[in-house]
Amino acid sequence: MEYKAPVEAYKGVVREVTIGKGDKVLKIGGENILPLHFFDEGSMPNPPKFALEVLDMEPTEKIPHLLEPFGNAISDPIQWAKKCETFGVDAICLTLLSTDPAEKDSPADQAAQLVKRMVSEIKKPLIVYGSGDEKKDAEVLPMVAQICAGENLLIGPVQKENFEVVGKAILENGHVAIAQSPLDINLLKELNVKLCKFLPPERVVIDPLSSALGYGIEYSFSLIERVKQIGIITKDSMTMMPIVANLGDECWKTKQAKENETQGLLWEGITALSLYLAGANLLILRHPETLKLIKETIGGNGRWPS
Amino acid sequence: MIIIGENIHVIAKDVSQAIRERNEKVIQALAKEQTQAGAHYIDLNVGPMKKDTEETMKWLVNCVQEVTDLPLSIDTMNPVAMEAGLKYCKKRPLLNSASGKTDSKQQMLPLAKKYNCDVVISVMTDKGMPPEVESKIESIMDTVAYANELGIPNEDIWVDPIILPVSTAGEGQKIAVGNLEFIKILPDVLPGVKSTVGLSNVSNGVPAHLRPILNRTYLVMLERNGLYSAIADPLDEELMAFMRGELKEIRDLIYKVMDGEEIDLSSLSQKEIAYVKTARVLMAQTLYSDAWLEI
Repeated sequence: MEYKAPVEAYKGVVREVTIGKGDKVLKIGGENILPLHFFDEGSMPNPPKFALEVLDMEPTEKIPHLLEPFGNAISDPIQWAKKCETFGVDAICLTLLSTDPAEKDSPADQAAQLVKRMVSEIKKPLIVYGSGDEKKDAEVLPMVAQICAGENLLIGPVQKENFEVVGKAILENGHVAIAQSPLDINLLKELNVKLCKFLPPERVVIDPLSSALGYGIEYSFSLIERVKQIGIITKDSMTMMPIVANLGDECWKTKQAKENETQGLLWEGITALSLYLAGANLLILRHPETLKLIKETIGGNGRWPS
Repeated sequence: MIIIGENIHVIAKDVSQAIRERNEKVIQALAKEQTQAGAHYIDLNVGPMKKDTEETMKWLVNCVQEVTDLPLSIDTMNPVAMEAGLKYCKKRPLLNSASGKTDSKQQMLPLAKKYNCDVVISVMTDKGMPPEVESKIESIMDTVAYANELGIPNEDIWVDPIILPVSTAGEGQKIAVGNLEFIKILPDVLPGVKSTVGLSNVSNGVPAHLRPILNRTYLVMLERNGLYSAIADPLDEELMAFMRGELKEIRDLIYKVMDGEEIDLSSLSQKEIAYVKTARVLMAQTLYSDAWLEI
């Protein structure tokens, strides 16, 4: 008897989210199949995308094998971003680390001006992350949104403590929100419900928090997997958003990555590959060699090489 | 539905303070209120009670029996406190609770025989909480068989499948559905046994103002599947109204959700919609979040 592989069809669709404008546009999401289920009925119009992260200040901890590819550019965020563009990224992620009260506590308008300059100088769409300090982000991110009105940036993290003020600024100035919750599917859904009371769900991307290999990656993996399953299989509107895995910094915080280059690249690479397999739509890395490594591994069009 | 009034509970600050200070008024007020509200048992949850065990239990049991004729449920994991409590009960009490754990089998179950009382037996074992419905059934069959050998008949056994919070990351909803199934099949596997649950645990961790609707909806669902009794809050008037057979329209809506029927929300009142949404969460038809009523 001939074997016939079962083919599933699903009810849900991950919303397609567009970031950037004009000739620098990036689309993520849009799939109506589970991650890599190319054998099922449906499609993945936008293969997962990759961004490299730059900081708005020179890193205080100098890990030589992490910073070497960028040379002197690390002292200037714009040059750093331009350098990243030479490595074949889909987007640039600018982290406004200096605004963190625990770092330089630099003022919101200074950060917003930098974002504005970067938008005009780079050729790729821009992702902007605040420092993660929910109080300071409530000042910094609305100002970024305002000064860059109409640029359709991907801005976050929007957290449960500041979603109203940050979310409204994102809505009013035409950007996309990164909704971030602490590795918990119920809290993740709750934040999306609250955010989507005023923000169209097509303008929300989920950041479930990405833990590094050896530091809780299992939680991130199964959470991303579940978000996709609940969205695609049960058609839960509040989990049908694309997922961003901001993993670079998490990996380079580990002592294993800091120890030596090979270990660091593999640490970031395996973390990225795992979260890609779980279903992340946009992955943020730090090292250009990791980017190269993972692109080679998954093949040029984001699909596993056949 | 037999309601075991849960409000005399040492986790409540005023209760633990009242016990410590031997303040009869506080305890007796709670006992009276619950009696008037229509409870069938009064639960005395005293925790581990390591100090002055005998004397405290005697005081507490007598203090409650002065103001109510209801039977008592002695709720502790400490066998010494349990025996001290059972000893002073005038009406046939409920031993709350034993389990499949070795200690419990050796120390609690014999007390049920000795005092000829009803006994709650949970599905817990030495390995912890059995994860699936099947393993819960297996575990409870073992423990009930053990109890039978001690001379405790099925009719005196109230099986507790252990309710867990529906809000716990993902798994909670699966367990809520599993426990509904458990209650449904229990009479087939252990004919004659009764059943009970610690109802309020289903809403543990949920914002306080949202807890009652989860408790009520789940109790209606469990009752439909044959639940015999619940440790619950008899002061929740709407919960008691459901248990008296009132609020029939809402009950029917909850049943429809259980049966997987489509429900047109546009024709319903806000209150009815809230119950439908809550039932959908408890049936795991929609992912739980604290904002489940707002979607």
